[in-house]
Amino acid sequence: MTEPDYDIVVVGGGHAGVEAALVAARMDRRVAIVTMDAKRLALMSCNPAIGGIGKSQLVKEIDALGGLMAEAIDATGIQFRRLNLSRGPAVWSTRAQADRVEYTQFVCDYVERTEGIEIIEDIVDGITVRGGSVAAVQTVSGRQISAGAVIVCSGTFLSGLIHIGEEKIEAGRMGEPAAYGLSESLRELGFEVGRLKTGTPPRLDGDTIDWSLCQPQPGEVPIPFFSCRSPRRQFDQVPCHLTYTTDETKRLVSANQHQSPIFSGQISSTGPRYCPSIEDKFHRFPDKESHQIFLEPEGNGTNEIYPNGFATALPRDIQKVAIRTVRGLEQAVITQSGYAIEYDYCPPSQIKPSLETKSVHGLFFAGQINGTSGYEEAAAQGLMAGVNAALYLEKAPPFILDRSEAYIGVMIDDLCTRTITEPYRMFTSRAEYRLALREDNARDRLFRYAHKYGLVESDEVEEFSTLQTRTNELVALLEKKRVRVADLGSAGERFQKADRVSLANLIRQPNLSIDEALALARGFDDRFQDSYEPLQRAAILIKYSGYLDKQQREIEKFKRMEGLVIPDSFDYRGIVGLKKEAIEKLARFRPSSLGQAGRLEGVSPGDIAILSVHLKRRGVVPA
Amino acid sequence: MRTGWFCGSSGERLDEVMAVYMSAGRSYTGLSQAEIYCHGGSEVVKLLLDQLLTSGARAAEPGEFTRLAFLNGRLDLTRAEAVAEIIAANTETSLNVAREHLSGAYAEHIETLRKALVEILAEIEASIDYPEEDISPEEHRSNADALSQLISTISALNKSYDSGRILREGFKLVIAGRPNAGKSSLFNLLLKQQRALVAPTPGTTRDYLSEWIDVDGVPVNIIDTAGLRLHSGQVEKAGQQVARQLVSDCDLLLWIVDVSRKRWRSEARSDLSHLKVRRRLLVGNKIDLLTKSLEDGNSDSDELIQISCLARRGFPKFVQRLARQVHSSMPDLTSGLVVTSARHRQKLQTAARQMKLAARLLRCHESPELVVFELRLAADALDEITGKIYNEEILDQIFSKFCIGK
Repeated sequence: MTEPDYDIVVVGGGHAGVEAALVAARMDRRVAIVTMDAKRLALMSCNPAIGGIGKSQLVKEIDALGGLMAEAIDATGIQFRRLNLSRGPAVWSTRAQADRVEYTQFVCDYVERTEGIEIIEDIVDGITVRGGSVAAVQTVSGRQISAGAVIVCSGTFLSGLIHIGEEKIEAGRMGEPAAYGLSESLRELGFEVGRLKTGTPPRLDGDTIDWSLCQPQPGEVPIPFFSCRSPRRQFDQVPCHLTYTTDETKRLVSANQHQSPIFSGQISSTGPRYCPSIEDKFHRFPDKESHQIFLEPEGNGTNEIYPNGFATALPRDIQKVAIRTVRGLEQAVITQSGYAIEYDYCPPSQIKPSLETKSVHGLFFAGQINGTSGYEEAAAQGLMAGVNAALYLEKAPPFILDRSEAYIGVMIDDLCTRTITEPYRMFTSRAEYRLALREDNARDRLFRYAHKYGLVESDEVEEFSTLQTRTNELVALLEKKRVRVADLGSAGERFQKADRVSLANLIRQPNLSIDEALALARGFDDRFQDSYEPLQRAAILIKYSGYLDKQQREIEKFKRMEGLVIPDSFDYRGIVGLKKEAIEKLARFRPSSLGQAGRLEGVSPGDIAILSVHLKRRGVVPA
Repeated sequence: MRTGWFCGSSGERLDEVMAVYMSAGRSYTGLSQAEIYCHGGSEVVKLLLDQLLTSGARAAEPGEFTRLAFLNGRLDLTRAEAVAEIIAANTETSLNVAREHLSGAYAEHIETLRKALVEILAEIEASIDYPEEDISPEEHRSNADALSQLISTISALNKSYDSGRILREGFKLVIAGRPNAGKSSLFNLLLKQQRALVAPTPGTTRDYLSEWIDVDGVPVNIIDTAGLRLHSGQVEKAGQQVARQLVSDCDLLLWIVDVSRKRWRSEARSDLSHLKVRRRLLVGNKIDLLTKSLEDGNSDSDELIQISCLARRGFPKFVQRLARQVHSSMPDLTSGLVVTSARHRQKLQTAARQMKLAARLLRCHESPELVVFELRLAADALDEITGKIYNEEILDQIFSKFCIGK
């Protein structure tokens, strides 16, 4: 057999494609990224921001697994802050505004410097499968590129169709052609292809905005960077601004709602409920008079502004008038119209937890093709697909994270067990073990895997174990150190019955933030003066200790069921006692474990019990 | 089906028994199975069981038969608990409750509770995942209110358990008293049929008798402790233990005294002082032997119900009093929904406890992710009732509820 042109071909150079290629290259694979424009890698097609609630946890996990996203935003971000600081550390979420142009430039440069990655400017329009395994991709220019594995990260380009009012434009995103052949090729290979919708707001000329009418939102100092590897650069952060729609906005948008393709029937596919267009917001929440609009800068070198919260597919002339009803935007000029875009995806019941397709060996899907939305979701899948494509070529078992280990695990498990009805976005509420899946402990959770697969340098791993040791020492110290309540000032008022309390007890108090507690703690002992990170990590462990123990018991129960593996080839037909609906669901999703089977809708505990008996009888599962 | 002798290891005849063989697929469990019917009385049964166990048989774990039946596709898990209740249902009221469970009305009720909880959860989750939407403190307060309401609904449901248990297991009525006070006579009168032996000399009933009667739609399990002495010196210790257990578990104790005896008052006082019991009625039998009538009350505040089993006197009034006692321990059936399963009660208790923890956290303005943590465990507990969440423990729990097979 002749050597293929590349070990791995990555179709698409977006956030998923880039992470996939980088990680595969790090695992010593020869990789090609086939993309339309080599200068537009990891472009931010929608809002110029990385992170946010639930998503930032993904970014930290990507970072812990040696991915690029966190470093890229740290290098090119223009404003950083953490959301939810008034809540507990499990839901603290970092979010950064990016300089869109610089971000892409940073990623392009990084990829160019990476050995083993080649970029091919072309459009893939077909996939060749031989003997059930992927063999090559074809491109519109007529090239045939052979590969041991193929990762499809096609974003919104698969048969992308932009809608602005009645206007329809065939495009993958504004100004770039869509890809058509690939959907057809996937259908021919037997894949089910569905359609989803998403949208984006118009872009505005910042010089035409009256900033005095908007509320500035400054960045946070010290700057909360994402990556543990990033240089701590100092710079003046650019503020975002908050403004509101007016009564006139509501009147105008509602009056013209019928002209939006979302309402006219022109678009029938489902859009995300968590990110509705402005016309949808007024329609669904008629009692709400006004909506928040965040004005986000697109970068240092541009005046372009992204009005977050004003996604729309209304006709261009109505967008022009409607945007000017927003406070501060009375004179605003639109530089690019908002639009809705429909695109093809493959319902993810067709992928395994490794992101390999169930029907074609060596073919992986990552990102929007799996029905997800968001750069972070895409990047995380890209990284996992990259690792798994490399492992596939080594004939090694796949790298799968479970729901108790990472948001990445939650996301991929959701994709493998849920019927996707709208673009999938991460939320912290999707993670049942949320208290254990925090930004601060991403490395605690994932470094051993990163180390195992060679995704991070070993000196990084050693450095981190020092931090872990220091954290544990500080936990013990904070538990042991008792202080006089009288010395705690107003924070001591909550302790009416005690003279002395341990610092750990102080940290556990509700209504007292970790930062406040630590500020007090540092005054009592010099040993609390060392760098902030281990101290904060220790305080978080203390704050959550009782809950984490309780959660650990839940996790153990969960793990037992996850450990009961259902073989790939298992035939559900003819199992006496299984409900028809359950058989259909099980046959469709082909869950990898009994635990996963139990999470399928329509599969009852009774079905699982029957299944477990059959598995036991066949000796698959220990009785 | 065969009849024959059950023999011991050395060939000695232990009991004349009847045995039935059921081939695979035609038995309760779906496996091939044999049943042996022996004569009554716990001694015989114990003897035969011992013999079987020493010969290498294993006793079924609680609920094992039903579990096997279920695993062999003979029984649907989701219906298993309701089936158990149907088996136990002896009267109309009880059957209604069981049918309610089967038809899913009960599950719907739990689902409603779960939905209310999910709504609260969703609100708090929204405030976490969308901090910029500014969920106001008023909304937090309304969550706390909604939670308190939910907790009290669950508490009410839980309170129905005790009465629910009566519906399922029956109202336990124990008849006890000194030898020859007329326990079996009363037992028989209540059954309105001659079931137990009645003899003028004490000790003619071995062990105890148990029967069912219907008191205005409530299944009442009447137990005649005739052969069991509650006080020392009369039978072996084991018998006393059984009797004491019966008395302490019962919903109502009927203590019979022979009012023709001179010292019946002081005897009753001393006998009753040794017994722990939820509720009791003092029944004075043999009033036909008295020359002058007794006063109803006595100094110990126990009201004395006067009857004569032999002369059938005072019986309507006695039954009336009995019915009143039974009904006062019944749930308000107009609400229609009663918790009848111990497993359900345990889960509801867990849910309520978790909700209380969450409510406390809400009140002291603790971080919302911790409130949600507690509430999720509450939701999980409710889910385990409707059977949405699977884990091996639930199954074990459900099946251990079926006390040794069907």
